Amino acid sequence: MSHSILLCDDDIAILRAAEFKLSRAGYEVRCANDGLEGWQEIERRRPELLITDFQMPRLDGFGLCRRVREHPPTAELPILMLTAKGFELLLARAVEDYGVLAVIAKPFSPRELLQTVQRIFGDESSYGSLPAMAAMAVETVRPSRPTP
Amino acid sequence: MKDTKARILLIGAALLTAAWPLSWAVGLIWNLEPTRGLHYLAMGFTFVLAVGAVYLWARHVARRQQQAQQFFEMLLRSEPAQLARLAAGTEPFPLLPSNPWFASAQEFSERFAQNCSKLQQAEQSRTALEVRMRRGTGRQEQIEAILAGLAEPVVAINAFDELILINPAAQSLFEADEKTAAGQPLAQVLHCERLVDLLIEARRRKALVRRCEIELIDDEGDSRWFTATCCSLAPSEGDRCVKSHNGHGTQNGHGKPAGAFAVLRDTSEAKAGQKRYAEFVSAVSHEMKSPLAGIKAYAELLADGDADDPKTREEFLAVIGTQADRLHRLIDNLLNIARIEAGMMNVSKNPISLHELLSATLDIVRPTAAAKRITLAAEFSPLYLAVLADRDLMMQVAINLLSNAIKYTPDGGRVTLRSKAAEGEVQFEVDDTGVGLGEEDRLKVFERFYRVQKDRHMASGTGLGLPLAKHIVEDVHGGRLTVQSTLGKGSVFTVSLPAAAQLV
Repeated sequence: MSHSILLCDDDIAILRAAEFKLSRAGYEVRCANDGLEGWQEIERRRPELLITDFQMPRLDGFGLCRRVREHPPTAELPILMLTAKGFELLLARAVEDYGVLAVIAKPFSPRELLQTVQRIFGDESSYGSLPAMAAMAVETVRPSRPTP
Repeated sequence: MKDTKARILLIGAALLTAAWPLSWAVGLIWNLEPTRGLHYLAMGFTFVLAVGAVYLWARHVARRQQQAQQFFEMLLRSEPAQLARLAAGTEPFPLLPSNPWFASAQEFSERFAQNCSKLQQAEQSRTALEVRMRRGTGRQEQIEAILAGLAEPVVAINAFDELILINPAAQSLFEADEKTAAGQPLAQVLHCERLVDLLIEARRRKALVRRCEIELIDDEGDSRWFTATCCSLAPSEGDRCVKSHNGHGTQNGHGKPAGAFAVLRDTSEAKAGQKRYAEFVSAVSHEMKSPLAGIKAYAELLADGDADDPKTREEFLAVIGTQADRLHRLIDNLLNIARIEAGMMNVSKNPISLHELLSATLDIVRPTAAAKRITLAAEFSPLYLAVLADRDLMMQVAINLLSNAIKYTPDGGRVTLRSKAAEGEVQFEVDDTGVGLGEEDRLKVFERFYRVQKDRHMASGTGLGLPLAKHIVEDVHGGRLTVQSTLGKGSVFTVSLPAAAQLV
């Protein structure tokens, strides 16, 4: 059973890159283009991890986090935040006020994103699809070597 | 002369008067019988002579008095020049040296002449002083007028920390009235501790110039920043004894400043400018990080070999290319805006045909419009319209407006480019059947990096196209760029430019 992740970002390129990386690692990934769409997806089917951008139209990152935390079923949902904006200020506020697990600065490395996600899921995610396991194995053995 | 005559006559009369008893005595001695007739003759003769002598003497005395009277009348007429000549001896003195009052009259006239000349000098110096004072007053009025006209608040205190000057700008800033504020203790009028402390310190320490930043809340509740420059006032010449306004006087020791003054310079604009600049830099760096994030992410995916098949690889490489282009456009637009603002743009304005420019622009954007099946229409004025403009820059404006119109108009819509002549102006406008702008967006649409949230999905953009166009039209060409819009129906962007002389 692969973990489900919800990605939320208004930049389609970023969305595609992250989705590509995570789904290749065996996670089930859904995408949303802004905070409001993300919230609707969460309500429809609760993910196990939320990765969201900070600046989005209609409902921004903090707005989405607030809704998630205030809704009892999702109050404990792990959240990762991506942002291109003032990193340090955001980090403090995000962690303190919204219980965000980690804040990742853009430009980000998809590899590092994957590692963070795996740490959050405690590496249990490796028990997923075979390609994912293989990829994981390659990752842990040779972190920065491209596979032939 | 008369004196001598009178003396002689007097002596003669005395003798003749004495002659009668003398002749009687002689007759007695020589036993002569004096003739009664001769007797009476001698008596009468003597009497006449005596009367004559007395008369002459009386006249002489009267003449002296007359001279003295004349002298005093002359003094009353007070002609100092004449008196000076008299004193110097160049003019004949009205009194004779024989006149007993002669010496005192001479001395008196000397003294009088001296006093008159002293009076004249005093008069002259008084006139000079008056002139100087009037000039000084005029100067003071000038300075007061300058102080009153200054936009910078100026306040000054005396040696007792009482306000002696508060110009109109300071009055409005500190909500003080000149009449009531004058003479008041400083701290009562200025409710800013830092400024009060600074002024007092400046007064205590001679020739000290101190600057500080202070923040004041003005009468509208807004916060305004000032740089205050405080300096001590040098004691003036007449300030030996300085009186406080409540009447106590004290000696102002030498070398102690007689007060201090402060000039406030409003730095709110500068501070706001700094803040805007900081925000701009932050916004720019944020905007740049998005395309960079895309480039880095896909480059890494490619490097890690995550792209298994050629199709995916191509897709990733294409994204990298697009993002790089996006970054490039962003940087170009930013540079253009920065250059225009700094006045560093190489602008060469020439009289150009507006229609020629607009036609060329239409040719450039036609493929983009065709891709969305948008109808591009041109409605040009029948007149020949010439504008004094930089062709490249104005073309950039037209391209920006047209490509915006195409971007935010759904497929199958219509974009019309119109030109017309108005009074002294030449106008062209881009009319689209696109998504339109709400009132709030319409007002903000020319701000840098502003992109209407809900329409972001329609097209990529740097948010700098319209600000750049506005700069070019308004700052470089002295025209106007305005927008009218109906949400959901479309927008019309209008560029107005001053008309160049008609070319035949």
